[in-house]
Amino acid sequence: MTAPASTDIKPHSPTQLVRLVAGREISTRIRDKGFLVSSAVLIVLIIGLMLFQVLLGGGESTSRIGLVGGDRAVEQVLQQQGDALGTEVTVVELADEAAARTAVAEEDVDAALLDPTGSRPELLVQSAGGSTEDLVRSALAALSVADQLTEAGVQLEPAPAVDVVALEADEADRTQATVVALLGVGLLYFLFILFGQFVAQGVVEEKSSRVVELLLATMRPWQLLAGKIIGLGALGLLQTAVIAVVGVAGALAFDVIDLPGQLIGTVLNVLAWFVIGYAFYAAVFAVAASLVSRQEDLGSVLTPTTILLVVGFIVAIQAAQDPGSTLATVTSYVPGLSPMVMPVRQAAGEAAWWEVGLAVLLMVLAIAVIVRIGGRIYSGALLRTGGRLKLREALAAEKA
Amino acid sequence: MLEFDGLYKAYDSNQVLEGVSFTVAPGQMFGFCGSNGAGKTTTMRIAMGLARADAGEVRWTGRPVDEVVRRRIGYMPEERGLYPKMKVGEQLAYFARLHGLDARAAGRAAEHWAERLGLGERRNDRVEKLSLGNQQRVQLAAALVSEPDVLILDEPFSGLDPVGVDSLAEALLEQCRRGVPVVFSSHQLDLVERLCDAVGILARGKIVASGTVDELRSAAAGRQLRVVVPDASVGWAAAVPGVRVVSEQRGDTVLELAPGADDQQVLAAALATGRVAHFAWREPTLVELFRHAVTDTREVAA
Repeated sequence: MTAPASTDIKPHSPTQLVRLVAGREISTRIRDKGFLVSSAVLIVLIIGLMLFQVLLGGGESTSRIGLVGGDRAVEQVLQQQGDALGTEVTVVELADEAAARTAVAEEDVDAALLDPTGSRPELLVQSAGGSTEDLVRSALAALSVADQLTEAGVQLEPAPAVDVVALEADEADRTQATVVALLGVGLLYFLFILFGQFVAQGVVEEKSSRVVELLLATMRPWQLLAGKIIGLGALGLLQTAVIAVVGVAGALAFDVIDLPGQLIGTVLNVLAWFVIGYAFYAAVFAVAASLVSRQEDLGSVLTPTTILLVVGFIVAIQAAQDPGSTLATVTSYVPGLSPMVMPVRQAAGEAAWWEVGLAVLLMVLAIAVIVRIGGRIYSGALLRTGGRLKLREALAAEKA
Repeated sequence: MLEFDGLYKAYDSNQVLEGVSFTVAPGQMFGFCGSNGAGKTTTMRIAMGLARADAGEVRWTGRPVDEVVRRRIGYMPEERGLYPKMKVGEQLAYFARLHGLDARAAGRAAEHWAERLGLGERRNDRVEKLSLGNQQRVQLAAALVSEPDVLILDEPFSGLDPVGVDSLAEALLEQCRRGVPVVFSSHQLDLVERLCDAVGILARGKIVASGTVDELRSAAAGRQLRVVVPDASVGWAAAVPGVRVVSEQRGDTVLELAPGADDQQVLAAALATGRVAHFAWREPTLVELFRHAVTDTREVAA
């Protein structure tokens, strides 16, 4: 009898095994209906949010005013008044009152002004009320005052220009960046929960179907854990990046945001925090999930971690309103909370570089501890099926 | 040689294995029998590194079984385990890759074994959609797909219909012909008797009998003779010296002869009753050997 030839089969290195596991996670998840639907919903939601912004009048408003009679001075004063109110005014010359009525009726113009320089100027509109009326009234009032002053022989000195000195150099930009950071943190919160759930479900699926016995005959528990977290993490990062690109491109296209540089910086920052935060939450979710054998029991072990996430999100919202508060400052260092609070503080310009560095360092340390202890719990718990394991039992089983 | 050497294992105060030792030669089919809870599964799990022995070790070609060796072992766990939502073909290819095949070889092997075990048309179905019997075939294919050097199968035949049993048996025999040692546990002792070159009976944490079925037979105490005498009256053989009547039913008699008792004397007594329809030494079945071995240790233990 001869032993079968197995020269063409070489055992894998640990990295290859981790890569194989990660590859399976990605290829399985990317075809999963739930994943595809949730991704589509997220993107639609973001585009919808921006459209909403546009419809709400976030951009410049415009107004077309028809003019019967009058001269260049009227046109100029209308436009100046428009500038002051943030409305771009286009003036259209109309032949007579009949033409003006038709233009208003057909909504060719928003309003038509008759005989502006006469004693009884008239404004034709579809229905009363609206910003155009005020604009025209103030314009005519200004014109009339100027005319009367000129007639009275008063020489008008040009008004002195006002120099604006902002104490907070770029307050408006900061606010905008904070809003973007808060949106990003909302996204992080959602993705941590989504991908944490994926990791947890995967762990329980392997345990409940007992396929884990076949897997552990070929690899060590940490390789399985690492492959799972890295695979789903790569997918999560890809999804976050796609959403970020869609969001940034949309924001620029719809003209929702003025400062691309600052926006992109904040988005990249949120992406970086995704990586760190995901590693933390995925490890915690995986270890917690390894304690149960059925999907139904998953909720009970995941709740404590989910509460931590919710707290982080609430603090982040609070931090956006008051980035300098003690609560925001302290929680931006707490591992688990920092990925959601720190980006907001950074965007608000409240965090110095060493503060960010410290938060990252603490987070990395926490991840190292979780991977080390959690890895032991995971190894001990994987082959113990039945009810819900206690942490201590799992640790003891690992040694047995 | 695949050697199980002096395995001990206790779960808390429950001593499951108390020195389990046996050897399986390359190309040998080893049937691993034992009552429920005797420790068969624990023994196999120790070999696969899924449980840690308190003492003793498992060796393959003289080398303790470690992760590298384990990747060359095809394993079928007692509790079946497959990804329910993964397609059959992809699943097999994945397991082949985990065992060290490259992507292309894994694809070919998956296709080959799916075809071989009659799953060709179900390759693109999810495992959860298959019948239990077909899932069992996938499980076996997962153990065979990496062309392993050793096979360790925990209850591979349970839940299969007779046709499935035959195709599985044929696949295992083919592996033996390749020189692979095959260890499988089973409660279907007739099947073990038919397929296996060697048998080990585990009871109370120890191997109480092992060897070929013939060896077990000759080791079994007491020889039995079956005599069919349709016309005999009840108790016809009781008077023959050294003979104990085991059972007697309308002339169909099983007798146990003490060492030194003369079978010709029994024949003479039988002929005296009239027609003798059957007279032969009776080969104990593996079931009987098993019962015998298991009860023996109970007595010793008691």
